[in-house]
Amino acid sequence: MGRYVIRRTGAAIMTLIAASIVIFAFIHLIPGDPVYVMLGDGATPEQVAALRDRMGLDEPVVVQYLIWAGNALQGDLGQSIFFDTPVTQVIREGAETSILLALITMVWIVAFGVPVGILAAIRQGTVIDQGLSGLAMLLASVPTFWVGLYLILIFAAGLGWFPSSGYPSIFEEGGLANLRYLILPSLALAAPNAALILRLTRASMLDVAREDYVRTARAKGIAPSRVVLRHILRNALLAVVSAFGFTFAALISEAVVTETVFALPGVGRTVVQSILRRDYPVIQGVILIIVCMYLVINLAVDLSYRLLDPRVELE
Amino acid sequence: MKLGKLLGGIALAALMAAPVSAQTLRYATIGEPPSLDSQMGTATLASTISQHMFETLYAFDAAFAPQPYLVTGETISDDGKTIVMTVREGVKFHNGDTLDAADVAASLSRWAEHGARGKLLELTSAEATGDMEVTLTLAERNGAWKSILAYVNGGPVIYPAEIVSAAAGEPIAAENYVGTGPYEFGEVRPNRYVELTRFEGYTPNPAESDGEAGTRVANFETLRFIPVPDVGTRVSGVQAGDYDYAEYISGDLYGLVKDDPAIQVKISTAPIFGLMFMNSDSGPLATNTKLRQAIMAALNMEQALQVSVGEPELFEADGAFFPEGNVWHTEAGTDAYNQGDPEKARVLAEEAGYDGTPIKLLVSTNYKAHFDDASVFTRQLADAGINVQMVVVDWATLLQLRGQPSEWDMFMTHHGSIPDPVLLTVLNDSYPGWWQTDEKHALMDRFTGTSDLAERQAAWEELQALIYEQLPVVKVGNILSYDIASPDLTTPWERAPAFPHFWGASK
Repeated sequence: MGRYVIRRTGAAIMTLIAASIVIFAFIHLIPGDPVYVMLGDGATPEQVAALRDRMGLDEPVVVQYLIWAGNALQGDLGQSIFFDTPVTQVIREGAETSILLALITMVWIVAFGVPVGILAAIRQGTVIDQGLSGLAMLLASVPTFWVGLYLILIFAAGLGWFPSSGYPSIFEEGGLANLRYLILPSLALAAPNAALILRLTRASMLDVAREDYVRTARAKGIAPSRVVLRHILRNALLAVVSAFGFTFAALISEAVVTETVFALPGVGRTVVQSILRRDYPVIQGVILIIVCMYLVINLAVDLSYRLLDPRVELE
Repeated sequence: MKLGKLLGGIALAALMAAPVSAQTLRYATIGEPPSLDSQMGTATLASTISQHMFETLYAFDAAFAPQPYLVTGETISDDGKTIVMTVREGVKFHNGDTLDAADVAASLSRWAEHGARGKLLELTSAEATGDMEVTLTLAERNGAWKSILAYVNGGPVIYPAEIVSAAAGEPIAAENYVGTGPYEFGEVRPNRYVELTRFEGYTPNPAESDGEAGTRVANFETLRFIPVPDVGTRVSGVQAGDYDYAEYISGDLYGLVKDDPAIQVKISTAPIFGLMFMNSDSGPLATNTKLRQAIMAALNMEQALQVSVGEPELFEADGAFFPEGNVWHTEAGTDAYNQGDPEKARVLAEEAGYDGTPIKLLVSTNYKAHFDDASVFTRQLADAGINVQMVVVDWATLLQLRGQPSEWDMFMTHHGSIPDPVLLTVLNDSYPGWWQTDEKHALMDRFTGTSDLAERQAAWEELQALIYEQLPVVKVGNILSYDIASPDLTTPWERAPAFPHFWGASK
């Protein structure tokens, strides 16, 4: 187990270095220049050249990479070109929103996707199953922005139950009550993902239900509920849990549309806006953190297999 | 059941949460502003925000005439090159210092050297020739000098001398945002908001409020500018009472919001207009005026505007660069506008010796209107036998590519309303397109060589006619953007100015 963790960590670090090079190279390969974006329409070539020089954008890309990587190792991700604040601060502002949004969304996904998936599997082939599968299909197919805008129209503009958009930090005035800003976005974000987990749970349950040991358990006369919970669910969860890990990571990095519709200051929107502005340090910093997050979650998911299924050998 | 309880509980918490103070204006912006250092950038949003903090020596009244603001008056030498201004007494900066001639001289000098529009005035020197007296020396007489000094966007706002001297060519850092305006800098939270707070030591201009000129009263304690990139969310945010004001609502939503009692519509007084620049430096259009005229003859602007804007109340197919009612309005040359005549275009292209070489039209997808206009034009030009190849990139790439003459033959952009033709990008020799003909230079000398309004108007009339003859740029048409406000908000203006200001506003 210990050796496994060390080996995996080593591989993760290599992946991280490779990823950092790829990120840096790609960002600098796309045309466009942050200086033009900053100075605006009327900038003269002299002004552009002067600002490029001051910001160190004239150095060769390799030199820029080494400087950046060296600083990143010391925890300094540089200064945002657009905001003129440290990248770490920009990420911190976005991370709180993204992590809380992902957590609340996960609550909806687990609370809805898993039990309903189990129900659909138990009632396989019945009207209930067909109805639930149809619902899952619908939720998975409707675009998030559409769901988001309708949630806003009904629950914010119409009924006034929730705020329409934005998210003030829970560490500011309002405290935990500010979480209400994340209810509608998390529902919009949960819809397609819960549907996927629902379908995955159902499929996985049905797979396991066909195993010999389940038939044996039933033949032994074990109570049906016990067969479902102990024999089927426990084994079916393996696939579902690994999906949780990646869903969580995806919720943080791919919530761009939801963050845009609800005007949330999250990481996804930050990175997309930064790409449009060619704010290199922010793009590099955010993507690096997201890569780290995927690596950690990947490792955690692998380790959790062992906890869920003692047969899995971590070698 | 539990889920329902949880939801209900959260909804209850939402209802019980403290109401947002009536003392805060919540302005939903389309994005985030770059640096708020007004001298250095021309982003509209940056000016909208920063005009509450930083002030200019002159300010436009409701009729767009520049009035003394941080100065009390001036004397001008006969040759028009020396201007002596008197600085208003007792004006306090946000840091507690008092404004004097040294601050004004330092601010103007830095702007002239490094500012986004600093070269417009051709300022040779700005010196403090007394405690409260500043002397400007211009290289040439400039009839537009007062308008240039009054324009906040990329213009010469006044900072304390020590801050502006230390910053030199760098944008001023947020902690040094010190001005004389009714609001002072609060904080910038990336992706969350920019906040300004009322400056209690503000020294108002004694004149009666008139447009941006005269006294400015800060009723709101706080102005908060919140990025809400999705237009649908900006609208429902105002409907839900989460924002007091939201900018840039799209034309397709106009029908929806104009009759909504929960929304005030504020149509802009300042139309923006699409522009298609032609490359006067290299490529097939560089010297071939006839081919440009063929292109112009093929274009039907009405069609393009119908596609890009849609709502007829929100666009005007108008070839004049300044709208009717403006002192600079003239119809000179506009016969060539909006012809939409493919047959004439075909004949002209033949006369021009056009051999079917692809003409590269550079356009970005970031602005939907640019892309829509370009698509319609490409189709119209194809009907006239002119082969246009669209080069579609994002805005940041376009800004870089258009600086390289070999990369494009035409590119799409837009222009905001401006108080004086001198600010038109096409009149700037070094702006991409690089229109630098002798006829233009002769007219420009006449235009800037006098401060007599009638003479300047006459020169501008000929300049506009020349633009329609030599076609360094094609104007697409006026787009009236509009903002929305909650019904409780009262603003000191009826229709939205180019940079909406909120002194004098309340709710």
